[in-house]
Amino acid sequence: MAGMPDLREVTVGTGAGLDTADMVLNIGPQHPSTHGVLRLRLVLDGERVISCEPIVGYMHRGAEKLFEVRDYRQIIVLANRHDWLSAFSNELGVALAVERLMGIEVPDRAVWLRMALAELNRVLNHLMFLGSYPLEIGAITPVFYAFRERETLQAVMEEASGGRMHYMFNRVGGLKEEVPAGWTRRAREAIGEVRRRLPDLDNLIRRNEIFLARTVGVGVLTASQAAAYGASGPVGRASGLDFDLRRDDPYLAYGELSVPVVTRTAGDCHSRFEVLLDQVYVSLDLAQECLDRVDRLTGPVNVRLPKVVKAPEGHTYAWTENPLGINGYYLVSRGEKTPWRMKLRTASYANVQALTTLLPGCLVPDLIAILGSMFFVVGDIDK
Amino acid sequence: MGVPGEGLAKGLAVTLKTMTRRSHTHQYPDQAPDLPPRSRGVIALLAENCTVCMLCARECPDWCIYIDSHKEEVVVPGAARARQRNVLDRFDIDFSLCMYCGICIEACPFDALYWSPEFEYAEYDIKNLLHDKDQLGEWMATVPPPPAHDPNGEPAKEETAAAKRAGGESPGRAPRAPR
Repeated sequence: MAGMPDLREVTVGTGAGLDTADMVLNIGPQHPSTHGVLRLRLVLDGERVISCEPIVGYMHRGAEKLFEVRDYRQIIVLANRHDWLSAFSNELGVALAVERLMGIEVPDRAVWLRMALAELNRVLNHLMFLGSYPLEIGAITPVFYAFRERETLQAVMEEASGGRMHYMFNRVGGLKEEVPAGWTRRAREAIGEVRRRLPDLDNLIRRNEIFLARTVGVGVLTASQAAAYGASGPVGRASGLDFDLRRDDPYLAYGELSVPVVTRTAGDCHSRFEVLLDQVYVSLDLAQECLDRVDRLTGPVNVRLPKVVKAPEGHTYAWTENPLGINGYYLVSRGEKTPWRMKLRTASYANVQALTTLLPGCLVPDLIAILGSMFFVVGDIDK
Repeated sequence: MGVPGEGLAKGLAVTLKTMTRRSHTHQYPDQAPDLPPRSRGVIALLAENCTVCMLCARECPDWCIYIDSHKEEVVVPGAARARQRNVLDRFDIDFSLCMYCGICIEACPFDALYWSPEFEYAEYDIKNLLHDKDQLGEWMATVPPPPAHDPNGEPAKEETAAAKRAGGESPGRAPRAPR
């Protein structure tokens, strides 16, 4: 990095270098700089982290077990809550799995509406982290800009679904109901507004010297490490894993769109942040394309279902590119109205595992920078 | 990278630009938020429509609806024997448990439950979030008419039902002749 002094660590000894015992420090489960209740058990040598063990489960709500005693409509309620920042995408995965098992063909209009909403949900999720991550490392301003944009898009989501976080708009076989008249126009306007104002956020933080100093070269996750830990989504792509289910295993109608996949190779905190920021632009474009398509399609947005929805005996695995990475839904049905088992593979769970290799060797202040840049939701880890 | 301090200058430029604009926020208690009709604020009950079928209570994912009823005999003039009718005694929703999913409203076959965007019912004690049928009934006044559907999609069920009725066809539940 030109223009930035090389950081050099100097060990200044006083006296006859005493052997100090390593300190065990628990970050969390309640700590202002962790989101939610992730606990990190650190072994420190002075300011340096020697080892790190993420301890998960403080927020375990037994979602998978609850799925086994809920019918498919009720599962959608629960499924949109484990990762509360990507509720729509979570619902989508469940609906896709059930639809595949039941052999339901979803009407075109519903497919494209789902994609539009999923992309808007992705933008909402990313904006959250684009605001909160700088906040964690001391930049207070960007969060206001991020939330201004979030508010604009949330209004659109709320108008269609009635919810601001837990949309509950997916149903097996399509969507809950048709969007209100003029909604696609207002959604397009909102997208235009966000796209116009996004440079504000971009200018504030992307190349800010202090932000660069805190993030460039910090917490480097190599592509092989990312792959080994199963990191996906923005975290994986920032390390150079060029993998995006929207392009590589298209679900819904993503096959008909060309999805530009944002990647970086550095694998540091800054590239993770940049992937997120650039994905917002991409998702806004995709959402707009989907809305244009929606306007050209007519017809219903759901199929008529039997009074009691039962998935036939069998199993299926549906995976989706959620905002934070790959979410997988392994559904095993024995022909009941509830699944026999529904296993969740969540992005955050895999992504935080990488902390074990990422943190040793770094300094405590960098820990906050790295932790924040792994972009996880604790509910998504603990389920 | 460019000039040192360029990033900071750019950031300050954004701040300056924003300073000249009107504020984006509203002062909430003074200015009511503009909520869309589909907003899921609170569940209102139209008790006259409720037949105590218990579908909502059964479909609720966390069983936060409590219903009690008793049977009453209704003597229909001209009928051979008196008919029985369910009378709703208690219809409570515990909003401290409610997940605002709307399944009860969807499940209700007689349109007795509605979403209202009303949200100002915070309480100091969690016990007070259990609301009875009188309170739920009061919220009926705040239920907005549903928005018209996108003309490209299918019309709302309210519209098709109204059209049917206007067309002379019998509405969903035709009044049956007494047995």
